[in-house]
Amino acid sequence: MKKYPRWPIHLALLAASFVMLVPFYWVLKTSVSGENIFSYPPNIIPRDPNPFYYVDVWYAIPFARFFLNSVIVSVMTIAANVVLNAMAGYSLTQSFRGKSVVLMLLLSCMMIPFQTTIIPAYLITGKLGLLDSYLGLALPLFSTIICIFVFKASFDAVPRSLIDAAKIDGLSEWKIIWKVMMPLATSAMATNVILSFIWSWNNFMWPLIATRSADMQTLPLGLARFMSYQEDSTGALYAFCIMVLAPGILLFLLAQREFVQGLTSGAAKG
Amino acid sequence: MVMVVSETAMSRPHFKVRKSTRRAVLIWSFLAPSILIFFLYRILPLGWNVLLSFQAWSPLKPAVFIGLENYREMFFDDEVFWQALWNTLGIIGSAPIGIAIALGLALLVNSDIRGRDIYRTLIFLSYPLMTVAVAIIWRWMFDERVGLINYVARMLDLVDKPIPFLNSFTWALPSVIAANIWQMLGFYMIIILTGLQNIPGNLYEAAAIDGANAFRRFLRITLPLLKPSIFLCFVIGMLNSVTSFDLVYVMTAGGPGHATEILVTYIYKLGFTQTRFDYAAAVTVVFFLLLLGVTWTANRLSGGNAGAVEID
Repeated sequence: MKKYPRWPIHLALLAASFVMLVPFYWVLKTSVSGENIFSYPPNIIPRDPNPFYYVDVWYAIPFARFFLNSVIVSVMTIAANVVLNAMAGYSLTQSFRGKSVVLMLLLSCMMIPFQTTIIPAYLITGKLGLLDSYLGLALPLFSTIICIFVFKASFDAVPRSLIDAAKIDGLSEWKIIWKVMMPLATSAMATNVILSFIWSWNNFMWPLIATRSADMQTLPLGLARFMSYQEDSTGALYAFCIMVLAPGILLFLLAQREFVQGLTSGAAKG
Repeated sequence: MVMVVSETAMSRPHFKVRKSTRRAVLIWSFLAPSILIFFLYRILPLGWNVLLSFQAWSPLKPAVFIGLENYREMFFDDEVFWQALWNTLGIIGSAPIGIAIALGLALLVNSDIRGRDIYRTLIFLSYPLMTVAVAIIWRWMFDERVGLINYVARMLDLVDKPIPFLNSFTWALPSVIAANIWQMLGFYMIIILTGLQNIPGNLYEAAAIDGANAFRRFLRITLPLLKPSIFLCFVIGMLNSVTSFDLVYVMTAGGPGHATEILVTYIYKLGFTQTRFDYAAAVTVVFFLLLLGVTWTANRLSGGNAGAVEID
């Protein structure tokens, strides 16, 4: 292949990265200065940066409470997802009567986006008496079809000979699942954790519908409510944005490969 | 593999009976919690929506069967529904723009340049972030008085006076779409990139020897072989965008007027601000059928497996 100049590629990619990053920079800048809300034209470099707006957020809203709510709901969702999806995924690697019906059922459920179920989902959760509770917030996301198939693919990839060897060694089915299958399914588990974390952490519509009291609000809800009464006139809103985004960005940068893999395998499987 | 094992199990019937029932119990009890969740939050809602859509009902009144009355109102008396439907279709129609940009970016980051992993990371970064925060950021970027976009446009003398993007009937929907594309771009790029990396390199070599230039190679090899990835992007992107309630709700709340109303926000408003659950259910049924139709069409066009799950 013949050599071609590299600089146009770099130029185009730099431009793209610039477009992707500028909004973050702008928000970060305003969150520490707040200045260009009052001044026009805005400065590119923050003048006199200070953390006052972050302190503002801490005192203006029950940030710790929202954060705790988000963490509780996310942890419940992640734990339930890993356990339930692994169980269902394992069953689907076995052959049993009615398997094709179950598969059909799962595949058709995948065609029903959550957004088309909100009215009955609200009524059902109400009938269960779970509105405005952590369980009610987490329950609809307790098991996800994509992740079941991620586990199934991973269990399918465990060599048959390994399972047979374990059987000959006298391990029970439970032991085989715990000692042989699960340790080999760590990447499926990572995918499950990441996907269910993102889905529950970022979820906005369901908490909006299913919570009533201010005490039960999760971060996205708190952020949206905060915006509606701050009328984007202070840097505090953007400080809040940064505080909400920072954990996600950090986590993403730390576990980048798992994130990309998880998100795309989740998508590629449906 | 699994089949073989079960056959050997069946060939030794005597002590298998109890064991096989025990196995069945184990398998079904493993499946039960998940199936229960899907029943409660997918299947039952679907059925309930259909039922509700033929009724006049509100939480305090008994349900009355009214046939197609909700649908009649929707199609003949409800301009907001039509507006929301057109906006939803507009968002679906805009997915190819994002995919085209992502295709270009994927080709670029697929070349063997230095720092391509950094570019990939930066471009992908926006995808897993909380959409509510993204919406607030973009709401502000598009702001009339202090938005960065208006500032740059004015600095470059592109406009005489600032454009009130999110308060203008012409600009509001394109602005929301732009924010959506911004967030989805990295995701599309990674999917297409995976597709690109699965194209065997010797195809290009053979074509180059046959004298095909770079453009023809792209047209004849890259694009056809990327078709599944591109359709996958379309299906996922379409489902993601038309259901991106948070983005629209936070950026514009469907306004100005109903200029950015999409079916999801309309259903939410009908159900939870007007308490018209019955009518909202009817709109949901139409919305669901629309999604089903678009996904099915995309599947057909792609040759049958966009977004499909590999069962075995």
